[in-house]
Amino acid sequence: MNFDFSEDQHEIKRTAHDLLAKRSPLERVRAAAESRTYDDGLWTELVELGWPGIAIDEQHGGGGLGVVELCTLLEEGGHALAGSPFLATALCGLVLQAAGDDGQRAAWLPRLASGEVTGTVGTADALVPDADGAALLLLADADGIRLLERYEATVEPVDAIDPTRRYARVSAPAGAGSPLPGDVEAALDRARVAVAAELVGVSARALEMTVAYVQDRKQFGVPVGSFQAVQHRCAQMLLHTESARAATYFAAWAADADPERLAEGAALAKAAASDGVRETTASAIQAHGGIGFTWEADVHWFYKRAQLGAAYLGGGGAMRARLARLAARRVEAVV
Amino acid sequence: MDLTFSEAELAFRDELRSWLADHHPGEMPHGDEDEQYAFRRDWQRTLYDGGWAAVHWPSRYGGRDATLTQSAIYFEELGRARAPLAANVLGLLLAGPTIMAWGTEEQQDRYLTPILSAEEIWCQGFSEPEAGSDLASLKTKAVRDGDEWVVTGQKVWTSGAQHSKWCMLVARTDQDVPKHKGLSYFLMDMEQAEIQVRPLVQITGEAEFNELFIEEARIPHENLLGGEGNGWKVALTTLMNERAGLGFFLQVRMRNVLDDLVTAAVQNGRIDDPVVADRLGDLHLRTENLRLLAYRGLSTIERYGQPGPEGSLTKWLWSETNQLLAQTAADVVGADALVAGTPWAYELLRSRGNSIEGGTTEILKNIVAERVLRLPRAA
Repeated sequence: MNFDFSEDQHEIKRTAHDLLAKRSPLERVRAAAESRTYDDGLWTELVELGWPGIAIDEQHGGGGLGVVELCTLLEEGGHALAGSPFLATALCGLVLQAAGDDGQRAAWLPRLASGEVTGTVGTADALVPDADGAALLLLADADGIRLLERYEATVEPVDAIDPTRRYARVSAPAGAGSPLPGDVEAALDRARVAVAAELVGVSARALEMTVAYVQDRKQFGVPVGSFQAVQHRCAQMLLHTESARAATYFAAWAADADPERLAEGAALAKAAASDGVRETTASAIQAHGGIGFTWEADVHWFYKRAQLGAAYLGGGGAMRARLARLAARRVEAVV
Repeated sequence: MDLTFSEAELAFRDELRSWLADHHPGEMPHGDEDEQYAFRRDWQRTLYDGGWAAVHWPSRYGGRDATLTQSAIYFEELGRARAPLAANVLGLLLAGPTIMAWGTEEQQDRYLTPILSAEEIWCQGFSEPEAGSDLASLKTKAVRDGDEWVVTGQKVWTSGAQHSKWCMLVARTDQDVPKHKGLSYFLMDMEQAEIQVRPLVQITGEAEFNELFIEEARIPHENLLGGEGNGWKVALTTLMNERAGLGFFLQVRMRNVLDDLVTAAVQNGRIDDPVVADRLGDLHLRTENLRLLAYRGLSTIERYGQPGPEGSLTKWLWSETNQLLAQTAADVVGADALVAGTPWAYELLRSRGNSIEGGTTEILKNIVAERVLRLPRAA
């Protein structure tokens, strides 16, 4: 039993952290968000490093690693708030690999892994990240998931409150595209775990920024971080962050090693991360005081990313309802 | 990352499971505290005879050299089997490890085995009426008189003192140095007339805790632990062992209670109420989070030699969740949860203490802020 990353996994995470700290500091996140563009150079670099294909099987040109390794990258992506189609493309690869048929996988996974095309996953009634530039769209509805090429879908870009990422509404006529034949819910659960990992990074960074600020900022002649009300708020932020992190790592491990526990793990992770990150990023604004409410401070980017991520593929309420059903099923199995 | 148990861990678990299946003491008697205590003492003797009283102790003291993970498994399995806690839990978890860390060979030979066998029960004399969380400001005084120390003062919240033969006593032995430095740690014999034990009846109606009134009690000098003036350091060893592993027992116990609550909600149909389902889902999330954070903590200790932030967070999350669980039961089960003497009613009352005992939630948040997040000390 080792609920910690292996040396290799630590190394992947450290390398990603250092790269993004250098390549995507908050000035660049801000510049990209304000101009509603991505730093294309960053995406090219991530592609060269093999990020989009890290969890795609080697036979399809990927890195052959697991959801755990993908999650370490996504957590660092959230921490840096880097703008790129990485999350959407990685999710598309995960879902396709888990639920696609051989032909669908052979046709698309190598192109996603190599970064030749980008993809995304979404539902017909929600905002879908990075759909406009995606060549491949996996669209979920009550009947399952359809694989759509860009020309088969109607994509309407939407200005979401989170300008660090591009969103759109996606629809397609009945019968368009081809259905994924596999276990849709299990595939989406992998995607939920990956989204949770990004949110853990967002949450951790919001806490870091807040701790640094309240150590520095003085009122009544002392740092505001010495006030108990502020301290307790920060402690609560840590509890949210660590709870989301523990649940997400467990779920990522289950996705790779114990699929029977994936449904519960994904619901735990997405519920903890969605609710946790909304609380921590809101707390970050509050602890920054009036400055935190200004455009000039960077904390609002985290709050905005958190809101969209929390809602994506099911929020806390939906996940808690699933957990209640799982708990009921567990006791009924015993009775 | 590998969350499966190793072969050795599985073998340990299976050995314990089958032993528990053969030796489970049955259901604890309801109501009478003395009967419950006797039941737990018998249970500890059974554990001792089977070599299962303190798996985390070194084998030369009668333990099994269990790793941290095996120790977690041990407490989880006891919880899963719905077995009671051993009677001498403070001796096993606190006094024993502290004596192993600081005691002389003579002290270790004298005290450790009777702790294990429940022959001698221990209590913890730290808190005082004016020194709860601020332990270093305690006032109970010990004055050297030849080969003995003479102790006078008052202790409070002393769990199990009415059953105890020994007390881990921290007392002030020097008034003239900074408050942390003037303390010493003693092993005090409770069987003397100079010590009065008065039970404190709690809101549940039972009396787990006591007040101790100490009026010139005598402690031989050889019962000083860790040397004169080292009381603060020795006490920290005790406090660091607080809940070592016990958290896993409490977490499983909470999960059992949640299962009972979900069963009740399924049976009375309340599970179909979306508000009830949301709260039960939240409780499911919290109990699992607690387990996962605790396991993360183990791996952090194994990697870095010291606990990470998870350790400071689990007691806080546990107490909050246990209270929420009991309060939710009052809604889901309804009036039956408010009938005195029922398990639900007991939990509703008892859980209020969870956020106070063993460090209040407010103090835990201060610790997280100051020691984990490194925020400046509160003014």
